[in-house]
Amino acid sequence: MPVEIVMPKLGLTMTEGQILEWKIKEGEEVKKDDVLFILETEKVTYEVEAPEDGILAKIVSQNNETVPVGTIVCYLAREGEDLSDLDIALPPAEQEETIAREDQTTPPVLDQVAQTGDRIKASPLAKKVAKAYTLDLFTVSGTGPGGRILRADVEAAHEQKKSSVVKSEVQPVSAAEDRLVPFTGMRRAIASKMLASKVETAQTYMSVTVDATKIVEYRKSLLPVVEEKYGVRVTITDLMMKITAGAIKEHPVINTRWTEKGILYLGDVHMGMAMALGEGLIVPVIRNINNKGFAQIAIDRNELIRKGKENKFLPDDISGSTFTLSAMGMFGIEQFTSNINLPENAILAVGAIIDKPVACNGEVVIRPMMTVTLSYDHRAIDGAEAGKFMRTLKLSMENPIQIFA
Amino acid sequence: MADKIKITIIGGGVGGYPAAIKAARMGADVTLIEQNFLGGTCLNWGCIPTKSLLHAGEVVQTMKESKTFGISCKGYSVDFKAVVKRKDTVVKQLRQGVEGLLKAKKIRVVQGTAEFVDASTVQIKDTGEKIKSDKILITSGSRPGTLKFKGSDGSDVLNSDQVLALKVLPKSVVIIGGGVIGVEFAQIFHRLGAKVTILELLETLVPGTDKEIAQSLEQSMVAEGIEVITGAGVKEIIQKKGTNKVLYTAADQEKSVSGEKVILSVGRKPDISSLKVDNVGLVHENGAIVVNDRMETNVPGIYAAGDVIGGIMLAHVATMEGECAVSNALGKESIISYKAIPSCIYTDPEVASVGLTEEEAKENYDIEVGRFPFYACGKALVINRTHGMIKIITEKEFDEVIGVHIIGPRATDLIAEAVLGMTMEMTVEELAHAVHPHPTLSESMMESALSLYGGAIHMP
Repeated sequence: MPVEIVMPKLGLTMTEGQILEWKIKEGEEVKKDDVLFILETEKVTYEVEAPEDGILAKIVSQNNETVPVGTIVCYLAREGEDLSDLDIALPPAEQEETIAREDQTTPPVLDQVAQTGDRIKASPLAKKVAKAYTLDLFTVSGTGPGGRILRADVEAAHEQKKSSVVKSEVQPVSAAEDRLVPFTGMRRAIASKMLASKVETAQTYMSVTVDATKIVEYRKSLLPVVEEKYGVRVTITDLMMKITAGAIKEHPVINTRWTEKGILYLGDVHMGMAMALGEGLIVPVIRNINNKGFAQIAIDRNELIRKGKENKFLPDDISGSTFTLSAMGMFGIEQFTSNINLPENAILAVGAIIDKPVACNGEVVIRPMMTVTLSYDHRAIDGAEAGKFMRTLKLSMENPIQIFA
Repeated sequence: MADKIKITIIGGGVGGYPAAIKAARMGADVTLIEQNFLGGTCLNWGCIPTKSLLHAGEVVQTMKESKTFGISCKGYSVDFKAVVKRKDTVVKQLRQGVEGLLKAKKIRVVQGTAEFVDASTVQIKDTGEKIKSDKILITSGSRPGTLKFKGSDGSDVLNSDQVLALKVLPKSVVIIGGGVIGVEFAQIFHRLGAKVTILELLETLVPGTDKEIAQSLEQSMVAEGIEVITGAGVKEIIQKKGTNKVLYTAADQEKSVSGEKVILSVGRKPDISSLKVDNVGLVHENGAIVVNDRMETNVPGIYAAGDVIGGIMLAHVATMEGECAVSNALGKESIISYKAIPSCIYTDPEVASVGLTEEEAKENYDIEVGRFPFYACGKALVINRTHGMIKIITEKEFDEVIGVHIIGPRATDLIAEAVLGMTMEMTVEELAHAVHPHPTLSESMMESALSLYGGAIHMP
């Protein structure tokens, strides 16, 4: 069997490496310790040497390719080996397996988590308790002599973990194997856009809770009519997009963009709707929404969803929105905040409709309530302006009939 | 450079003098006031002199059993005066050692009785000198407890201080109170040649000790020839010429036992009698000064530690508390932990324990108990001390060691391993896997742990 050369793990934090340059061409002979290729990580460049004499039979990962640690990057054939049966089109599962394998012929793995684990300053009892809780001791700070982690520290960390709403990033101490999923292009795009949204804007949030009784009734009466006539089902989201667009019209500052020279007020409202797609996120657009009726909005929305599922979006379908709406009602999420979809200046997060006891004319009654949260860029939109918009939105939602006014 | 913090420590016992040394090490200007002898109760009237006498008893025992080892010893006699002299020599040498240590640290030692003037001033009653300081630590210790009943004030009724001042060995001794002090005195006088009777109110000797261990100690003392009467409520002491008749009830019957001397060993009481603590409004309960877990009293700047705060009245606890107090007084936060405090009885066999007794442990945990008897330990047989065992109590969930109890040879030294382990939150696994030297008594600790973790080697 030819020798498999994998992307080495050069440090605890290294997850992937980029092939900078192959020093040997395919088919060339190499001697032991000859430099096969140069790799680059975020921190270092490193020369990977041939573990033994042979012929560089096949290069799997080309120059400038970034591959996860443990991925086979080339095969080295020993003298007289038949290369014809070499299957280079390795399925991904098999590539992942190689991560765990320790092969004497590969460059050494320089650091292992397990070794570091032994060096942690914690009492034997604390270690056992942490194991029972699947709690990583590296995330626990010790209060014992010399910072030693005691059982009480583990218990405290466990309590904190339990009560914390934010999902902890720590990996549980368990026997399950770690899995590295390389970034997709979409993931990278989402990452940079989300980060930019957080870093480059003065994002501020504002919530209002709305009585959704009428919106629910309104949809109920629209549903059979639209369905019979157009064959589509109107959703609460459709109503919300339309009502929101109406409110935006009264508060043009919500429909703006931040530019170098000033705040750009946009004439038309193109409503973006945040949508989960496969493993990513995309914002298809319903154009000129203020000129469209509920049926048309429902038709557009259905069409966009179909295109999404079939991977048939055209660039125009997913760009040019001026305001975005994100709905989480289907997950039962009561209230949440969304990241502004740059270059827009605001986004509306629409929660689930939930029956709740509310005070009405001095009596407690059960009403379907809905909480909507506006994320807005405070650089462009003042709090008072956002507040006025939210007031209008609330009034419109509670009296959807005024759409006809 | 800022002025040194001035700290005054009242009482030069094992609560006070180590605290003084620590304070000096931390850069404070330290004054230590002692009304009697440096080293306090422990060094002068407690731990050290009693252990010196107990060792004399052990020497007697060694002579008695010398034939077992093939050594013939042609008679022996106990020269009680010489025994006492040896004790005094040991005490004096240690006391001089303490004086030397304090001197080396440039600690001012004031001889006299301290009284509070205000929250930062104490006055020496004997000289009238007023000592002002930033912080004051009270380590005034304790005095022997007393019991009031008919005849308890007789001239032959002695407390532990008076026992240690005896110049002549009494022919017979009745000991009222079978606690730690009582059983130690019992063995001292028995081995030096007196007839000894212990009267204990409760059902076993050394109450508070793990029951199995306490019973084992009682067996051992009875086997040696000490009369032990438990469940005995003393009513009266009738002093006659050269003897004292002690009346007591046991099992609803009036009984009596006589002795040349009667020893009252009914514990110790915190001692604040001469301090005038009410001048500064210090809060105290049942004679003990009330402190928090930083050894702070209710008066800012005044700390207390050791027997005077009650709680666990042991020398090593006093030292730990004193050091904690000084740390806090000098700005380095320290919180006291009573998690793994050993307690010891220096009889033969010795008794030592740390953590929960089996009875206490059962109340809070689902437990397992491991035992290893010294008769299965090679070294114990070599030295002819096979009575006793090492008992380890763990909780089942994580196998944490929550109590270790030893009765047997060198138990008081062997317990240190368990103390370290429990301080470090050891589970039985660590104790079982640590390699213990062979042949030693300490192997019994490993074997006892193994009995909970895979099985002991030297037990069927």
